[in-house]
Amino acid sequence: MNPVFRKVQASVAQQALLLNKALTPCRAAPSIQHPVWCTHSVNERQYKGMPTHGIGRWKYLLPKQAPRKKKDKHQMKRIMSATDTAYGTLNVNVSGYDMTVVEHYSQYIHNFCNRLGIKVADSYALPRKSTEVMLMQEQGTKTYVDAVLKTHHRVVQLSTLNAALCPVFMDVLLKNQPEGVQLSVTEHTEADFQARFKARPELEGLIAQMNQ
Amino acid sequence: MQQKKMAAPCGRMASRPLLQFLSRFSRSPVGNTGFRQFSSATVCPVCLQRLPVISADCSPIEQQFKQMLHQIELEKSVLSDHELRLLEDAEKMSRKQADDYDSDEEDSHGDKEIMMAQDLEDIWEQKMKNFQPALRVRADVDKDLTSAERCLADSLVLLAEQEVGDEKLWLLPQTRWQEGETLRQTAERALTSLPAAGFKATFLGNAPCGVYKYKLPKAIRTENSIGTKVFFFKAILADGAPPKTKKAPFLWVKKSELQKYLKPAYMMKVERFILDL
Repeated sequence: MNPVFRKVQASVAQQALLLNKALTPCRAAPSIQHPVWCTHSVNERQYKGMPTHGIGRWKYLLPKQAPRKKKDKHQMKRIMSATDTAYGTLNVNVSGYDMTVVEHYSQYIHNFCNRLGIKVADSYALPRKSTEVMLMQEQGTKTYVDAVLKTHHRVVQLSTLNAALCPVFMDVLLKNQPEGVQLSVTEHTEADFQARFKARPELEGLIAQMNQ
Repeated sequence: MQQKKMAAPCGRMASRPLLQFLSRFSRSPVGNTGFRQFSSATVCPVCLQRLPVISADCSPIEQQFKQMLHQIELEKSVLSDHELRLLEDAEKMSRKQADDYDSDEEDSHGDKEIMMAQDLEDIWEQKMKNFQPALRVRADVDKDLTSAERCLADSLVLLAEQEVGDEKLWLLPQTRWQEGETLRQTAERALTSLPAAGFKATFLGNAPCGVYKYKLPKAIRTENSIGTKVFFFKAILADGAPPKTKKAPFLWVKKSELQKYLKPAYMMKVERFILDL
């Protein structure tokens, strides 16, 4: 604001009328710009003219997140156990040959859970598995590779499922299951979690050596 | 979908002297802890559903949108390996047929591949022509109400004709609750006790999905039995079509056709939990 006033004082003699007209909008601007003025740091530039300056800022409203270190091992989320009225952590596994259909179906399940208020703990994909279709040759006895089919898996992990809500949930899922897609609901175990990681033979060898 | 309020007694089912007769003899307080106090005037019907086998047809707007998306995807997509091979082969052929063709200039492939990409495509086309997919909609099977194969795009519910008091009514197959068993077991019994049925089903959960209460007409009411509570259970028909018996009084109906067979008060409660997705 100060440079604006300095400019005004400097050229008062020459263009008094014009400056008076320009003053009123300038005087109105400080009250609007005031909140922005308080929160900026010294190094940021502030464009003083526009009343809407800083109108799109939103990052200062987000809660501060601690910076993630790369060395953190993936911690397993807590596996809830079943109670009398609710199931524990469940894995809804969707698999099929057609990736778009499988993904869309898993997205549908996720959205459905959000709508019903079922808490979704995790939603991940497992690596695809290739199946080779071998056909017998017409003339000989050898089989040859006819096609390679890839099976894709998507998993939606639910933290709890109320037992009264379960029949409704399953009914809707089964009725909307697309063709060529297999649906299976199982309980989540730690073995399932560990199966997602790659085996590290060197590390295991070293650990075995250390333990000996 | 889940009934939170108890239904106000609405309408009266046909008189049930048989019911009242049984209830006088077998009514006794249930002594098991953890079991609710049900009177033997509780009935557990099972809502057996056959899931849709194929996806429903798209509406005109959906079809147009599908076509448009397909076209966009096609125009934005990149050529696949097979298509690249086709183009290369076509180029090679055109170069071979050109007058100034020098075979030494070509990269030595050794033994030239016998199978050109175009030949592969022709073989695949032939196989495709030999493949006959089954019909999605068969008009004659659709009209046969007793067949479990009708209307593959919709979910169907099993109705059985059972005697209630004097009349024969179309209802969801049911039996009376007996002491010492859970409601779900009663529903399972209802399914297995259907004559000539042999339906294999998986029950969805232990909790009932619907409730219907009705009072008996005043003429038959006694101190013990004023009415009946009906708890519905949902089950999904497992694979393996049961043998069709022409005389069995079963019907597989869609939700829209239920109204023709069920009584209005009963229908009001039943249609609340049958999903027509």
